[in-house]
Amino acid sequence: MLLAFIVRRILWTVPFLIAVSLVSFALIQAPPGDYLTSFAATLAASGDEVDQGRLEALRERYGLDQPFLVQYWRWISGVLQGDFGISFEWQQPVANLIWERMGLSVCLALGTLLFTWAVAFPVGIYSAVRKYSIGDYVATTFGFIGLATPNFLIALVLMYIGVIYFGSDVSGLFSEEYQNAPWSWGKVLDLLAHLWIPVIILGTSSSASLIRIMRANLLDELHKPYVVTARAKGLSEFTLLMRYPVRLALNPFVSTIGWAFPQLISGAVITAFVLSLPTSGPLLLQALLAQDMYLAGAFILLLCSLTVVGMLVSDILLALIDPRVRYQ
Amino acid sequence: MTPRRSLLSLSVGCALALGLVAPVAAQNAHEAPSLAQRVGRGELPPLAQRIGSQPEVITPLERVGTYGGRLRFGLRGSSDHNHILRVVGPQGLVRWDQQYTRIVPNVARSFEVSDDARVFTFHLRQGMRWSDGTPFTADDVLFNMEDVVLAGALAPTPPRYRAGGQNVRVEKLDAHTVRFTFAEPYGDFLAELASPLGQHPVLYAKHYCSQFLPKYNPNVADLVRAANAADWQNLFMARCGDIEIPSRWGNPERPTLDPWVVREPYVGGATRVVMVRNPYFWQVDTAGNQLPYIDELFAPIAQDVQSLVLEAIAGRIDFQIRHLDAPSNRPVLAQNRDRGGYRFVEASSVGGTNMVINLNLTHRDPEWRRLFNTRDFRVALSLGMDRKAVIETALLGEGEPWQNGPFENHPNFHRRLATQYLDYNQAEANRLLDGLGLRRGPDGIRLLPSGKPLRFKVDVIPTLQPEQVDMLQLISQQWRRIGVAMDVNPLERTFFYQRTSEGNEHDAAVWGGQASWVPGEIPQQIVPVHHDSRWGIPWVQWYRSGGAQGEEPPASVRERMRLYDQARATVDPDARRALMIRVADIAAEEFEVFSVSKALPTYGIVSTGLGNVPQAMPSSWYYPTPAPTLPQAWFWATPQRGR
Repeated sequence: MLLAFIVRRILWTVPFLIAVSLVSFALIQAPPGDYLTSFAATLAASGDEVDQGRLEALRERYGLDQPFLVQYWRWISGVLQGDFGISFEWQQPVANLIWERMGLSVCLALGTLLFTWAVAFPVGIYSAVRKYSIGDYVATTFGFIGLATPNFLIALVLMYIGVIYFGSDVSGLFSEEYQNAPWSWGKVLDLLAHLWIPVIILGTSSSASLIRIMRANLLDELHKPYVVTARAKGLSEFTLLMRYPVRLALNPFVSTIGWAFPQLISGAVITAFVLSLPTSGPLLLQALLAQDMYLAGAFILLLCSLTVVGMLVSDILLALIDPRVRYQ
Repeated sequence: MTPRRSLLSLSVGCALALGLVAPVAAQNAHEAPSLAQRVGRGELPPLAQRIGSQPEVITPLERVGTYGGRLRFGLRGSSDHNHILRVVGPQGLVRWDQQYTRIVPNVARSFEVSDDARVFTFHLRQGMRWSDGTPFTADDVLFNMEDVVLAGALAPTPPRYRAGGQNVRVEKLDAHTVRFTFAEPYGDFLAELASPLGQHPVLYAKHYCSQFLPKYNPNVADLVRAANAADWQNLFMARCGDIEIPSRWGNPERPTLDPWVVREPYVGGATRVVMVRNPYFWQVDTAGNQLPYIDELFAPIAQDVQSLVLEAIAGRIDFQIRHLDAPSNRPVLAQNRDRGGYRFVEASSVGGTNMVINLNLTHRDPEWRRLFNTRDFRVALSLGMDRKAVIETALLGEGEPWQNGPFENHPNFHRRLATQYLDYNQAEANRLLDGLGLRRGPDGIRLLPSGKPLRFKVDVIPTLQPEQVDMLQLISQQWRRIGVAMDVNPLERTFFYQRTSEGNEHDAAVWGGQASWVPGEIPQQIVPVHHDSRWGIPWVQWYRSGGAQGEEPPASVRERMRLYDQARATVDPDARRALMIRVADIAAEEFEVFSVSKALPTYGIVSTGLGNVPQAMPSSWYYPTPAPTLPQAWFWATPQRGR
């Protein structure tokens, strides 16, 4: 039963991925101009001049003057053989650029996910069980502030405070001496010493929303007859809470795993941009801004594939913990 | 050997400064302690062998400096490679002097120009070496020119290496002498070489870069496969770079002639760039100390300009003009001068204006084309602008009414072109427009002969210089009073390029117009020869394609193109200036483009502890700021902060 469900879901991903690759390539091509026009425009913004003849020669070399389908075919046939092409801007194979940054992105996304759960799970339960208590109000207030403030703004404010009042730099993930050093215990500790700031900044809004979801879901369950029955049978309040209503209210937590996968790549692009984090987010944004076609295309394709995989994983997990999903 | 410097110098009387080239007693030379240690350990040859017998002797701006420290500047994560280029300097055969008036030898020890400006002979430095210790000789120049540039290996041969429709001929006279011969006189050649785009003759080290050319390496396909590159051109660009692409700073192995060489490269996803001193750098100061003084360039990469401002305030940037010099940053930078330990450094405008309004004189619609080509219409628009009000409001009072071209203190100053039709005169503007038969419609907007309202769009990139949009909005209100409806049309930058420079679909557009018409600079607002001449794009295409594409321009434009070509061929500065003034005469008579205000200087920051940094430097890509002020001769006069 479960196996058939999984196989069916996996088969569905194939046509979906083909559609995604076509759409993402079309999206990258959609803005006017190409890599070379944005290259010229960016340089002009800093007062630099571009050699016009060279631009035209490059356009021909990169095949940017070809029709859409020809360009798409060139790209996708390479991708199927594992060749994502060359980044125009960096003259490097796209694959090298992407994998270089994935490690830290995974680290950051996992850290943020754990932080979100660690905060949202207890606080959500607390504010549902102690509805309208002082603690609930405090959690709710923080929740709303966290939801309403864009992450990148929190980042900017923290950076400003850091520089003006503490004379310290909160951006980046490593101290200067460890930035390009090989991995060592010192470097890991240094990473941990820096990681908590982006983790908190990135985690605020998602924890805030999870707290609200947890609270609402749990409130729905708490007054159902089975809870009253269990309580009447003499189950201790804590065991009762954990064994039944919380398990049911847990579904959204599992669903967040599905979002966590694409977050590995897009991981709060703007925040990472502001904080100059060496994760894949800023590289993705730059590639899009510079219209660095193959780099951006590979990112978006990966992003979509990971979303699909993430959703698959969370669907399977949901099916495991919640029999209702399986039988539909 | 007597260089024909009197001909080349733009300011007569400073010719003797070339006495710098005198051979230095190499045994008196000194080097940085870190290099001396490496010599002591036997890792490096002694200094005298590294710099050869003819290093260039640099007279420091203030005094002889001391070794050590690092120079920190902020980079952005994408398309900011030219910032590195500007600090390291385009180490070409020749360079501009600090005042941006004269061309002086650089990699070349000296040069001679034939009387007819066709033959250019460059003498290289004896014993000069690439940053890996391999000798730099005439063979390197030949490799760059013949195997890369003239062979069109990576791109078509740039026009700067052609004259009279023929490629330059490059010969090796001996191991340290090369001769460039053109088919026709080409006086601007030295200025072309001094600009950042003119570094090709000495860009690539033959012993390293030739391995990526099929001509030298029949097995280049193996290298391509091993590096997972697309083809050998891609591999060449990835390993050896090109003048202005990021991968130039992406390969620490590439030998260069630069004062600092890459240690931590500028690659996709890098968080910083670090460059360290080149032990073989070929300049010494007057006391015989090998340059650079500063050990290391250190450039953290910030994705966002606001983070750069924060870095500056925190005192973590030692020198920066680029990205920081927007007027909107000035108050916060001024307020935090003490905290950040920096002073302002003036980036002086070379002349001209920051916003030229280009009506499209080659408009696709014949009715608009006819109107825009009517001189009185353009005069009326110019008189209908209250420049003082625009300057007061949009430029916060910093400006002075100005049309186009160099300032009063510049030898190329052209009074008529710069100052005609500046005064706000609504009545006269209305009279001119009435005289053209442009009746007002019921809403006060004038009507075209066809009955359509006189309403057109001015394209602008809002992110380039945000104040341009404010200026245009004020001008739009002012023109409304003379019955002309103008809509500001902010466009995303690539769309702007596509609509204007490529498509010629615009009614009008604005662009920066800093200009002093010196050799090497393109005078795109007085003669349409560049894709930024948005007042006649099909004419540009006609000029660039030798008449094959675009549209044939009217006689006055053709005459200016002819004079401009002639000026580019002329080596005598006075004769060249006279030709450019004739171009400006015609441009003033035609009055094709108009503007609002002089381009005022912008301000970057420089750490107060840095010595030998001038108070002001010309701000120009062709110069390019700050390279000719010789950052390799800057030094830490007081201990560096923030370390």
